[in-house]
Amino acid sequence: MGKLRFITWLVLVMLIGQPALALVTDLSNKRIEIRYSFNGADLILFGAVGSSAVDPVNDNFDVVIVVRGPEARTVIRQKAKVGPIWINDESLTFPSAPGYYAVAASRPLSQIASDAVFASYGIGFDHLPLLANTPRGLAAPDGEFRSALFRLQSNSGLFRQEQDSVIHVGEGLFKTDIRLPANVPVGDFLVETFIFKDGSIKARNRITLAVDKEGFERAAYDFAHGYPFWYGLVAVFVALTAGWLAGVLGKK
Amino acid sequence: MPLYLPIAELSMNIFLVIGMGAVVGFLSGMFGVGGGFLMTPLLIFMGIPPAVAVATESNEITAASVSGALAHWRRQGVDVKMGLVLIVGGAVGSFFGAQVFTYLRSLGQVDLMISLAYVVFLGSVGGLMFWESVRAIYRQYKGIKPKLKPREDRHKAWIHALPFKMRFRKSRLYISALLPLGIGMFVGVLAAIMGVGGGFVMVPAMIYLLGMPTNVVVGTSLFQIIFVTALTTIFHSVNTQTVDIFLAVLLLVGAVVGAQMGARLGLKLKGEQLRALLALMVLLVCVKMGVDLVVEPTELFSVGEAGSH
Repeated sequence: MGKLRFITWLVLVMLIGQPALALVTDLSNKRIEIRYSFNGADLILFGAVGSSAVDPVNDNFDVVIVVRGPEARTVIRQKAKVGPIWINDESLTFPSAPGYYAVAASRPLSQIASDAVFASYGIGFDHLPLLANTPRGLAAPDGEFRSALFRLQSNSGLFRQEQDSVIHVGEGLFKTDIRLPANVPVGDFLVETFIFKDGSIKARNRITLAVDKEGFERAAYDFAHGYPFWYGLVAVFVALTAGWLAGVLGKK
Repeated sequence: MPLYLPIAELSMNIFLVIGMGAVVGFLSGMFGVGGGFLMTPLLIFMGIPPAVAVATESNEITAASVSGALAHWRRQGVDVKMGLVLIVGGAVGSFFGAQVFTYLRSLGQVDLMISLAYVVFLGSVGGLMFWESVRAIYRQYKGIKPKLKPREDRHKAWIHALPFKMRFRKSRLYISALLPLGIGMFVGVLAAIMGVGGGFVMVPAMIYLLGMPTNVVVGTSLFQIIFVTALTTIFHSVNTQTVDIFLAVLLLVGAVVGAQMGARLGLKLKGEQLRALLALMVLLVCVKMGVDLVVEPTELFSVGEAGSH
């Protein structure tokens, strides 16, 4: 009987105690404003892990941080040779691919946990759930197009995996850099932090980050998209005035 | 110093943008051309999305043509009636050009269309110009003087056979309105799909097809370009929201300074030498565009433009 009770107790602890660690995270800046001088942004994420809210964890733990940008319709096109020239031929549309996706970790992912664990939480390029428009409706995309999406977005700095590392400061404290390139999409970002120990997840939390155009940049964008005819008219007026002014100044 | 362009949605170095304007302005001041055919490919080459490059360059050309057109206006160098007929044609052409542009953009084929248009038009215009200027230089070297045809014989018979004849006093012409309408329409299409003013087609067409006297050709062409590029700017703004005023104004600042210096250098060179150099430059852009179409790209895949629905 004693043995059974012990096992029941153990199972209960395992079930209830799944997020056995307390985790808090924060960003150096939770609202990124795109203004005229915007050329990308570097943020710092701080976090602390404790076995309870007061006791810091000092033994080995791993941190994986996933930042996801707003999802948008993304088209990938493939060039093919038609006659003597190369033209865009086949294309694949991802109705909602993240516009930004970054994974930072304290060690190479393969050393932190097994592929199956990452797959179950959808962590990493290879496990990111992605669907594409196909003739049969929404379906898993062709592997070539999927890897092209990652390659192209990585080249423009929008997808980053294992390029940034999480640094252990000590006493359960850790930090990492989050780099947003100048071409970052605007919208709401999710920053998820996962704490791993012995290959399984011990704690997770999520905080949000907003990227938005501000001030004049926001006004110009809204004007161009909300009132395109009037924007065009203003553009012409500005051009005529500037051109006339340039002529006057040029003569002097 | 980086500057975020809110419509293009990317960040560019402000001095690089002004510098690009200055270099193109210098060349256009030296050769007396608008420079759209140099600026649009340069913008695309610098990573500006093609749709933004074409639409923004239309806006810049409007600005760049104002002072020239005013100067010609004061010198009585604008045939307003002819200009208006060209503008009507240009408006129709630009409207359809912008529609085609928007449609092809949604198919992901707008880059191809821009490249093909550049290769075909720059290739043929540059080739003709090069041939003509080399012949002129050769003749001058040999001392041959070409015989000028009398003005009355300049029109081909089929031009006189066209209906809807109109009198253009300033150009001293009595020709069918269909001809300038057609030319205006063609140039309007080019303006909308290539991000050019179209002077490189308009000026030869006015001289060789319409037989306009040279003192009103450039002024009338600039007059027409202002209106057609202004309309093109509005069409692109409504269809695709790709006109970046800030980029256009910055390019203009550089272009104004560059054009002043270019014009000074241009005065020191002979007309046919200038034309030969210009032709070479036109052909160079054409060849660059052509090679990019033919050579296998290192990356076969590309991400579609964000706005293409």
